[in-house]
Amino acid sequence: MKANVERRGNSRTATTVTRRGFVKMGGALFVSALIPARFTTANAENLYSLDPTQLASWLEIRSDNTIVVRTGRTETGTGMSAYYAQAVAEELNVRPETISLIMGDTDRTPDGGYSAGFLYGMSNVRKVAAYTHQALLGLAAKSLGIPVASLTVADGVVTGGGRSISYGQLVEGQQLELRIPIEGALPKPDPAKWMGVTGLDGLTVTGAPPMKAPSQFKVMGTSYPVPSIPDKVTGKMLWSCDVRLPGMLHARMVRPASPGSRLLSAGEIDKKQFPTAEVVKKGNLVAVVSPDEWEAVNAARAVASATKWTEWEGLPGSENLTKALRERDWGEPSQSRGKKDDVAAAFRKADKTIRSSYEQPYVRHAPIGPYLAVADAHVDGSVTVWTHSAQSQGLRARLAYMLNVPVDKVVVRWLEQSGQYGRTTYGGDGAEADAVILSQLSGKPVRVQWTLQEDLAWSTASPGWVSDIRCALDARGRVTGIQSAFYSPHESDARLLGAILAGMPTTSDKTGMWIATEWPYERIATRLEEAYGMPNLGADSSSGGLRGNIMRTPGQRQQNFALEGLMNEAAAAAKADPVQFRKDHTSEPRLLELLDATAKAAAWEPRPSPRRGARKTGGTAMHGRGMCIMLRANAYWVGIAEVEVTPATGVVKVTKFTIGADPGKVINPRQLDRCMKSGVAMGLSEALKEEVTFDKSKVTSTNWSRYKILTMEELPEIKVVQISRDDKGFGGGSEAANAVVPPAVAAAIFDATGVSPRRIPLTPEYVTRLLKT
Amino acid sequence: MPNEITLSVNGVKEVVSAAPETPLLFVLRNDLKLTGLHMGCGMAQCGACAVLLDGEEVRTCVTPVSYAVGKQVTTIEGLPAVWAEKKGLSAAEAAKTLHPVQQAWIDEQVPQCGYCQSGMMIAAVQLLAKIPNPTVAQIKDAFTNTPPSPHLCRCGTYSAIIDAVRRAAKAMRV
Repeated sequence: MKANVERRGNSRTATTVTRRGFVKMGGALFVSALIPARFTTANAENLYSLDPTQLASWLEIRSDNTIVVRTGRTETGTGMSAYYAQAVAEELNVRPETISLIMGDTDRTPDGGYSAGFLYGMSNVRKVAAYTHQALLGLAAKSLGIPVASLTVADGVVTGGGRSISYGQLVEGQQLELRIPIEGALPKPDPAKWMGVTGLDGLTVTGAPPMKAPSQFKVMGTSYPVPSIPDKVTGKMLWSCDVRLPGMLHARMVRPASPGSRLLSAGEIDKKQFPTAEVVKKGNLVAVVSPDEWEAVNAARAVASATKWTEWEGLPGSENLTKALRERDWGEPSQSRGKKDDVAAAFRKADKTIRSSYEQPYVRHAPIGPYLAVADAHVDGSVTVWTHSAQSQGLRARLAYMLNVPVDKVVVRWLEQSGQYGRTTYGGDGAEADAVILSQLSGKPVRVQWTLQEDLAWSTASPGWVSDIRCALDARGRVTGIQSAFYSPHESDARLLGAILAGMPTTSDKTGMWIATEWPYERIATRLEEAYGMPNLGADSSSGGLRGNIMRTPGQRQQNFALEGLMNEAAAAAKADPVQFRKDHTSEPRLLELLDATAKAAAWEPRPSPRRGARKTGGTAMHGRGMCIMLRANAYWVGIAEVEVTPATGVVKVTKFTIGADPGKVINPRQLDRCMKSGVAMGLSEALKEEVTFDKSKVTSTNWSRYKILTMEELPEIKVVQISRDDKGFGGGSEAANAVVPPAVAAAIFDATGVSPRRIPLTPEYVTRLLKT
Repeated sequence: MPNEITLSVNGVKEVVSAAPETPLLFVLRNDLKLTGLHMGCGMAQCGACAVLLDGEEVRTCVTPVSYAVGKQVTTIEGLPAVWAEKKGLSAAEAAKTLHPVQQAWIDEQVPQCGYCQSGMMIAAVQLLAKIPNPTVAQIKDAFTNTPPSPHLCRCGTYSAIIDAVRRAAKAMRV
């Protein structure tokens, strides 16, 4: 990885990689003498540093039989770098250890796309590998004089007729024209589109090359380790925070007093105290830079205390959030699904109707490492940025829009860093715009390190929401119709904060909320779902207010809390066991099998909730258990929580959590296991603790004692159930693990106390208040 | 004003020029290029920047470099040598041996984003020095209730950390 930050040639000129540069980088190229022309489109600007229709842009086989694979998607911590290698190794019949990945660099990878869109990214590299495999077999047949059908391949060595030849030997000095069929285009700014950028999905490799059936897999389905872990553990890893450029300045930002504050006057540097520090500013973007990081920190503190901002009070205060959302006129839903008349009929005919409302305050991604970026702006208007964004190509487009330069003037280099949990999926948010603007203004490379306080106040957050939901039950206690309405501020604001504060162009997002639920109950066919959106809270302020963004299992995490909360309340009304109640509303064999397997692992005793003897008073702990399900991205999920609630104190302790998943074919059982367990930890954190607080002018939960997340002591015993299938394709194997926690924990509290929580976090204060009602 | 400060880091004498109140974090990362530890909260609330100072965990974001003078600083880069010395390994053996805590972190595939894990391993080494065979409850207690703050992991790898500490404990008893 160390080579990733080598600076090529003259540092003050554009660093877009040319084909010649590519050949030099690649060493022994698979397509040796044929240097393809740059991929050109009808557009004036060239989005493509590498021609994505050429095999060599995706994959190289070197003479030593090692393989380099390039993907614009990145590792987000959930192990994709292992899975990509497994997918390629599977189709090429090589060991995954022989594969190295180049990820996320806009000038060294052919495609783009969401890093969270692993299944699409994997499909791309898997097809590329399959096309390559066919081509290699052709070469081997020619070389060995044996028909393709008589060849076998193992560990990158082709054998036939008693002779063998390695891939490396086959391609050495060979020319092979292999075109990779693709669809789509890389991201570019388009203010008319929903996200302000088109092409965020990246490119898709098309066609149907022969690929192995899952039942034949030898590498996929095994627990191949994540390649970067040894370097992370020994300190050898090059993270984006480790990038150091000659002449680089360290920057600390001086943020406005509130999202609506405008700069009146910036503080000045006391040169006797801080001889190397400088204030750099543009509009409301204020920073202090110095070659010495500690001097930058101290000088920024001094400047911040002397900087004057206008006052602003445009937020409702977090304690009034629900009220503010309730009082709003939401107008028409931004998305609606289902049939109003059918649902109305179901409710008219209902034996019983259950109505409920659920809510959650703002929560946020809150990584341990605050945002960080390094930028080197060049005199010709081009810029190179080192980032940990999960959407390098989208970030490139947004930065180009901000700078008003063609997209190919921006190079984004990706390195690992603290987790993102969705906040950079659209390529916005982050410190990159700060770094680019400061580098342009100072004429030097600049490294911007946000502080935790800044990150917890100024990064995007997952907005608070309210939801009204009701269901109709028939005389047998079966749900015959569901109607839901979900209300939330903007959840897709991917504008660059630096650009907003500096008054530079920002790609604008369209406000709106969407229905994220994938319907798991095909026996409940009659339903009406509506999602209502609104702008950010404080949207009309100079910086756009509380900027909302997606966060792990976006939309569905919230909407499932309401749906599964309602299903648990309906099961109780029907006096049905909650697991059996789910089974009564689906005939999907995958879900039925997973429900049984997870219930068995949890030693689930079939009975209705609440438990006998449930009580909502007393100083001793009550035990309870609850469950929920989810369907997301071709994966079924079941969560079962066991809790102890002490009514007198409102303290909830989760003692055990059993999580089951059927994501189709499991690619890597051990990594799935760790992702499921860590997802439970994140889900418990959200269920029990997390809340962004704010007063009328600013966020106040700006350190770890105010924005509380789960600690190790609060982790329960976690049991994992995995079902892998060879005939159902691949499903999302990690993301949803957090989302099946809050509804199950809430249901367990109901089981213990007979009172249904309808809000998270389940803090002692809320639970005490709840049990008193 | 910068002073010349002599430190002992991972068994090596290092001379740096820094103001005495500079956090040890910046000296280790920027001057000595020991980048295994990370800047997290900057106020001793998360543990990402932890190192051992004479065998005791400190948070380098709030520890002045002058405080480390005359003490042994150990970062994750120095853990293999600590183990090699303890086991009396030859230079050749030492070069290919990791500290059992690091090896356990690999074997259990602990890191996800991995940003906090340097501090987690430091906490594990300190715990195992005091309690060679900790129970799950003792591990949870050590990572949560040892001042100045809990060691926080946002990816949620706590379960893997517990498994890795137990694996390391076993390896270190052999």
